[in-house]
Formats: sequence, structure tokens, C-alpha cells
Amino acid sequence: MLAELGHFSLVLALLMAILLAIYPMWGAQRGQQVLMQTAKPLTVGLFLFTLFAYVCLTQSFIDNDFSIAYVAHNSNTLLPWYYRMTAVWGGHEGSFLLWVLIFALWAVAVAVFSRGIPLDILARVLAILGMVGVGFYLYILLASNPFERLLPFYPVDGRDLNPLLQDFGMIIHPPLLYMGYVGFSVVFAFAIAALVAGKLDATWARWSRPWTLAAWVFLTLGIALGSWWAYKELGWGGWWFWDPVENASFMPWLVGTALLHSLAVTEKRKVFKSWTVLLAIAAFSLSLLGTFLVRSGILVSVHSFASDPTRGLFILGLLVLVIGGSLLLYALRAPQLRSAGRYELLSRETMLIGNNILLCSATLVVLMGTLLPLVHKELGLGSISIGAPFFDQMFVYLIVPFVLLLVMGPLSRWKNQSLAALRNQLLAGLGLSLLAVLLLNLGRDGLSYMAVLGMALSVWIAIATVQEVRQRLSAVNHGLAGLKALTPSHWGMVLGHLGFAATIMGIAMVTSYSVERDVRMSPGEQIELQGYEFRFLGVEALTGPNYTGHVAKLDVFVEGKKISHLQAQKRFYTVQRNVMTEAAVDPGFTRDLYVALGEQLSNGDWALRVYVKPYIRWIWGGAAIMALGGLLSMSDKRYRMARLVKASEPVSKLAGESV
Amino acid sequence: MKRLLVALCALLSVSVFSAEEVYEFASDKQRQQFKQLTEELRCPKCQNQNIADSDALVAQDLKRKVYQLLQQGKSHDEIVAYMKDRYGDFVYYQPPLNPATALLWLGPLLFVGGAVLLVVIRRRGRATQLDQELLAEAEKMLESRQAQENKQ
Amino acid sequence: MKRIGLFLLPLGLFLLITLFLLQGLFSNPRDIESSLLDKPVPSFSLPDVMDASVQYGPEVFQDQVTLLNVWGTWCVTCAVELPFLTQLREQGVRIVGLYYEQELDPDFGGKTIQQIRADINKTVSQLGNPYVFNIFDHSRDTSMDFGVTGAPETFLIDQQGRVRLHHVGDLNERVWQNKFLPLYQELSQ
Repeated sequence: MLAELGHFSLVLALLMAILLAIYPMWGAQRGQQVLMQTAKPLTVGLFLFTLFAYVCLTQSFIDNDFSIAYVAHNSNTLLPWYYRMTAVWGGHEGSFLLWVLIFALWAVAVAVFSRGIPLDILARVLAILGMVGVGFYLYILLASNPFERLLPFYPVDGRDLNPLLQDFGMIIHPPLLYMGYVGFSVVFAFAIAALVAGKLDATWARWSRPWTLAAWVFLTLGIALGSWWAYKELGWGGWWFWDPVENASFMPWLVGTALLHSLAVTEKRKVFKSWTVLLAIAAFSLSLLGTFLVRSGILVSVHSFASDPTRGLFILGLLVLVIGGSLLLYALRAPQLRSAGRYELLSRETMLIGNNILLCSATLVVLMGTLLPLVHKELGLGSISIGAPFFDQMFVYLIVPFVLLLVMGPLSRWKNQSLAALRNQLLAGLGLSLLAVLLLNLGRDGLSYMAVLGMALSVWIAIATVQEVRQRLSAVNHGLAGLKALTPSHWGMVLGHLGFAATIMGIAMVTSYSVERDVRMSPGEQIELQGYEFRFLGVEALTGPNYTGHVAKLDVFVEGKKISHLQAQKRFYTVQRNVMTEAAVDPGFTRDLYVALGEQLSNGDWALRVYVKPYIRWIWGGAAIMALGGLLSMSDKRYRMARLVKASEPVSKLAGESV
Repeated sequence: MKRLLVALCALLSVSVFSAEEVYEFASDKQRQQFKQLTEELRCPKCQNQNIADSDALVAQDLKRKVYQLLQQGKSHDEIVAYMKDRYGDFVYYQPPLNPATALLWLGPLLFVGGAVLLVVIRRRGRATQLDQELLAEAEKMLESRQAQENKQ
Repeated sequence: MKRIGLFLLPLGLFLLITLFLLQGLFSNPRDIESSLLDKPVPSFSLPDVMDASVQYGPEVFQDQVTLLNVWGTWCVTCAVELPFLTQLREQGVRIVGLYYEQELDPDFGGKTIQQIRADINKTVSQLGNPYVFNIFDHSRDTSMDFGVTGAPETFLIDQQGRVRLHHVGDLNERVWQNKFLPLYQELSQ
């Protein structure tokens, strides 16, 4: 019964989306208030019906209703209750239901929190979201219905949730990632609405910024969490694999980062308008492309869902309509946009263009690296692989100029910057960072160029950030009390850059100075790695709710003193007949100790993999700091819409004329 | 003195047994080479994993072969060539350079070049035709409103 | 209107990508062509799995069109294709087995050659025996030379001893009709 209710509720949600796509847009074009005012209630309806469908599916999981095909495929009576709730997004159909739920949530958030935005703009934005939503809801109803029944013959027990997904990181990773992906739909809708209305001005940029920041914060956290999960759960100590699916989430992040910066310029200086709109379209398009890549089975990836060409065709059709349509609209409307401000070659504007160019070429690297194997094969040239060696090489080339611009940008003024002043700051910063790297590496043997480069870049960013804050303080001339005068969005930038510096530091250290050993051990034996003695105590049997397995116990000593006890597990999930590695990690600020249990050897020894990973937490810590920076920026009172509208109305008229 | 040290070391190594590596290497350099090769070679049977990160039988066989070839003194490139002979370009994560794949390196380069050129050209021909007064007025209005807000 | 060209660029790029994505939907990303195609089989010298005193080399493929089938009793899919392969043998197709044992790893498991022979006899007596003989690749080196990634895999080898086709996965009626038969008939003439 619940399944039918849920299904029906989804049909109603589709109906809401269809109405939302038509009436408010019609009203906005004709200037009819009543029609425009339908946008909010329709959006709320869309959300409530989707939420109800989602609750129905969750309840079916909790009730172990295996007459529903999706539940039978992704759950089991032995599965703990909390994993039964998260199993809702453990497979293709349910994860798409989560996707549309989050989509509806964003839409309703726009409806609720945009009181300050003129009604015609809001109506258009929500109508655009409605149009995109029609596609999503049609797809879930026609091609991937999670409520399909297995009647009359249904299994007594389910096939269980993929063991890879039975982990805390997996509980929150997909929702965060989807919040990011789908969040860009809001930015997209704002851009398209502005193109349709022909009003692309500073107010548009100001309205889009908090939404962009929100989506970007979620995406940043989602990606970082995914990386942390892979590190812990795959058992190979890796944190990034350049897998097509990871790339699919990285591309919108890169473009989203570019968009954040160019929105700042468009808002403050009214330049790069057409470029910013393109980025807003691109960020969402790449999110959709990522969905397509994951769900069509077109690429060989660790994470892909079971492939099904009809689903692939459906999403591809959706892609053509949404992306193709919006790019066409862009091509028709964008040439009319004129940028207003003037700036010299040495100015903050130029630095930010540079930032955008480099971020976009990084996106291009990832896009081509992901898709070229496919193109190569379709051209009849044979199968090739593009992986870490290629991407690592390209990103090293890109990061150097990128950091140089990152250091120069905040130190430069808008419009025009004097070369001499900037040069002095830069030289001082560079000198200090080189000195710091020298001190940090004193006494280390086996120095790696890559590590030195990464550390220098990271420290330089940190120093430049401090220089910039000092420069601001001396401008307001209040000493340290002036710190309060800095806006939250300014602190957001500071944190964003510091977080980025931390991530670079982590990446440089962990890729260059990680040590690992593949060893065979019997109880009582030990292995010494970087001064850490890992003593193997033995292996014990292990029984969990839906798995059995082994747990290896080790003590870690430094100079004879015990500092940690590690338990590395190997689980055998009985229903899915899958072996999973649960690595033991002793986390630390400057290093992780990491042990993964391998196979038992014929002579009774155990194979173990032992790693020392320096500074690996900095990678995710940096991401968390960046996300915090994004949150701070969002809290800036400039974005409190209600107040804004009064200030912006006369201005938008003027700006509209000057376009 | 030296003899004593050796004896001491021998004694120590008896009391705590050191674990044996699955693959024993003569030098750190060789171990590094092994690590790099196994991370750059793709497991032909798996979803998308290098042979270092895979437990598949074929990945284990390839790892063992890499080790054997290293022991025979083969270089990095020779080992990659050996694997490509058997499993094609697919087995190596660094794509081969040909007219189609050249785009991988040239594409981003052309993009950066083109974009920089475009910015320089467009910056020159801009801003003269704009109504500067109107713009200044708009800006002033926005700023004064903001100043008011900040005071509130 | 001159300026529109530049703004159409993203759309053009997107449509180009779409074209390839569409094409990609209908091909299997896991199909990888063998690098041995149209090359002579690699040299080897391996014993018969049933009788260590009998040695085989590449010359066993001379003058006859042969299917070389890579298999093992531990492999589930291999068991599925055995009846069909036996049917083919009855139609006069020459099938040679390349046998390898998962359990023969020096580190993991310790199956003796006697056990392996007993397993093979049991399997083929139940499901049918398509093989003229089985080459025993104990170290799996020859499999690697053939570019084998797992089991089952099947090679079509012509009268000059060159590899003409490499199929990964089970060989069934459909695969035989579509992929193998046309080339097999052409080579057999």
C-alpha cells in the first residue's frame, strides 16, 4: 500500500512541476501577478509530495517490504535499522529519489528565502526549476521507479545493501554531494531567468552568490567526505583515484569555484557578465553530465550503477534539452551583454580572470581525461587508459601559475595596481615561504622536489593571506581592533584560501613522503616504518550482524613506548558474498598510521599492508576550512535579501538601461 | 667495537622477529620503482583499479611479473612495454601520444592561450562607448544605500 | 551578429560530446581488443595437464583451425559453457584447452596435481569434454603472454597459427553465431 501511495505522490509531484513550469513563467512574461503568485504554493506542493514519496520508501525499508523490487535488491532483515534507512540511496532508483527530494528542497528554499527578490524574477527562477524538474520526475517515473513491485512472487529476504555502503561516511556522503550537484540548479535557474528576462546586472550576481556559495560548500564537503570514505573503506590507503565518478564530482567543483570568483567580480565591478552566466550554466551542466556518466554505465568505474542503455538514452535526452537549450539561449542573448567597468592589465580583475581561465582549463583537463578514452575507442583507435600519471602531471603544471595568481589577487586593488608595491609584497612573501620550507625540511633525507614545491606554494598562500589582512588593517588604521571591521565575506575569502593552502600541503606531503610495506607476519613479529614499530599480536575471529570475518590486532611503539593499538578487520558479508577491508587508522595531526589486513597465507602467516601517511588529514581539514569560509561568506549581510531589494530597485533600472 | 655492535644487533633481531616483506627489494630505489609501476599499470579485469590496489588474480600475477622483471634488471619503460605487448595501451594509465590524444595536452594549452588573447583584445576595444555618467550614478546610489545600511 | 560565433562555441562543443556519448551508450566499455590480433601465438613449452611427459608448443596450432579455450574447474562461468563447447566439438570444431589453476599460487592454497586431475575428470564427465587435450599453464606465464585476464576466454587461431579472434567471457550459441562462425567458416575453407 505504501508503495502505491508513494508512487502516486510522485505522480502528483510531477503534476506540480508541470504547472510550475507553465503558469509562473506565463505570468512573468505577461505581467500577471496572480499567475506569478502560483509559483510559491506549487513549489511547496512539489516538495511535500516528493517528501511523502521519500518517507514511503524509507518506511518500506524499515518494514522490510521485500515485495518492492528496490527494497529486495538493497536491503536485508539482518541489516541494522540505521543502514536500512540509508539503504534508500544505496542503489540507482532510490538514490535518484533522494536526488529529486533534494532538488525539491532547494526549490522550496528559493521560494522561502527569496522574499526580497522581485516577484517576476522569482517566478521565472522557480518556473525554470519546474521545467528541469519535469525532466527529473518523468525520468524517475518512467525509467527508474523505486516503487516497482515484485508480485506475485517476492523473496523472503533481500539481497542486502552493498557492503561498501555500510559505513558512516556513506550515510552522509551522497546527500551532501547531491546537495552540491543539485544546488547548482538554483544558480542555473537564476542565470536562465536573467537571460530570459534580459536583465543581467549586478543585482543578479548578488542574488546568485549566496546560492552558489551554498551549493559549493555542500559539494566541497561531499567530495572531501567521499575521499575520506575511500581512504578508510577501500583499504589501499588512497584518497583520490581519478576515477570517472570522482572526476564527475570534481568538474562542477572546479567550475563552481571559478563561478564564485567571477560572481564577485560581476557583482562588484560589473564586468565579465557573459562569462559568469556561462559558468553558471556550465556548473549545473557538468553536474548533470556527472549524473549521466554514473548512471549510464558508459564508462568503466568503481562506483557505477548497473548499466542500462534505455536509462542512459533518457538522461542523454534530458541533457540535450536542458544543456543544449540553455546554451542556445546563451548564444542568442549573451552577445547583447556589455561589461561596464574599466580595468588595467595589472589589477584584481585580471588576476581573477586568470584564476577563471586556469580553473576552466583544469576542468578541461579532467573532462578530456575522463571522456577521451571513450572518444578514442569510438573513433576505432583502440582502448586507452587515462589515469593518475596524466592528471597528476597536468595539475602540477596548472597549480603553479594558479597559486601565483592566488597570491597576487587579494593583494591587488581593483582597476589598477602599482607594480612596485605588489612586487615588494610578493618578494617578501616568497622569501619568507622559502625560508619556512628550508626550516621545515632541515634534517630530512630523501628530499622530494614535488614536496618542496607543494610546501612552498602552500606557505606562500598562507603568508600572502596574512599580508592581505595586514594591508586591510593599515587601511582602516585601527590596529588589531580593525579586525572586527572586516566583513564576514572577507573572512570567508581568508579561510577559503587558508583551507586551500592546507589541502595543498597535505597533498604534497602525502604523495611524496608516504611510506608503505606489504608484509607477511606471524604473531609476535614486527615491522619498523619511519620510527614506528608495528607489532603484530595475532588475528581473531569476528562476527557482526550481517558479516563474519577476522580482526588483526597490532600495537604500535615509538622507542619502546606503546602509542597506539590498532584493529584491522576483514569482513565477509554473507548475503552479498563480498569481502570488505576495514582498515585500522590511528589518525594524527602530522601523520596517520594505517594498517589493512590481507589474506591468510598457506603457512598460517597473514599478509598485512602497513602505511605511514604524513599530513593526510590536512587534505580533508583544508576542505572543511574552505567550506567554513563559504559559510561565513554566505552570512554576509549584503546577501540578506529583504533589505537588499529596496536598495537595488532603482539601481537595477539604471543598470538595465546601461546594458 | 664494531664486532660488539654487530653482535648486539644480532641479539636484538633474535628477540623480536622482524616481519618479512611480501616482495623483498635490494634497495629503496627498486622498491620505489615497484610501487610506481604497480600504481601506473591498470588491472585489465577490474572496474578501474591499478594493480597495486587490486586483489584480482590477474593483478597479483602482473605484480609478480613486474617484480620478476625488476629483479632481472629491466627498466621502467621496458616493463611498461612488456605489459603493453600483452594487454595493449589499456594497461598503462599514461595514455600514448598520438594525433587523437595530443588534444589532452594541447587542448588546455590552446584554451589558456586563446582565453588570454581574447581578454587582451577585448579589453582594448571596450569601455569607450559606454555611458560613464549613468554608470557612476548607479554605483553611487548602490554605495550610499549600503553605507546607510551599515549605519543602521 | 558577428559576435554570436564565439558564443555558439560552448553549444557546439556540447553537441560534439553528446554525439560520442550517444555512440558510447551502445558499445560495451569492457570490450578491449586483444593486442595479439593477427599475430602468431606466443611461443611456449608446456605439459599436458593429464600427463607431464607430453609437451606442447606453438606447433600444435599449425595446419588446423583451432579454438583455444582458457578455463579451470574453479571457474563458475567455464562450467556454464562446457556443454556448448562439447556440442561444437561434436560438430567437428577442434578445441584445445589452456588450463590454469587458481589454487596453485605458491602463497595461497595448496592443491596437488593429482587433485587437479581428479577435479578435471569429474567436471568433464558431468558436463561434457570438448577438449582434444589440455595444455597445463602451471605458472600462468603463457596466459599472460596471450593477454588473458581471467577465465573463460577463447581464442580463434588460424592454420598458420595466428590469433584471429579473442573473446572474453563465456562462449554461447549467440556469440558463436555472431562473432565466431563467419570467420571460422572463412578460415576453414
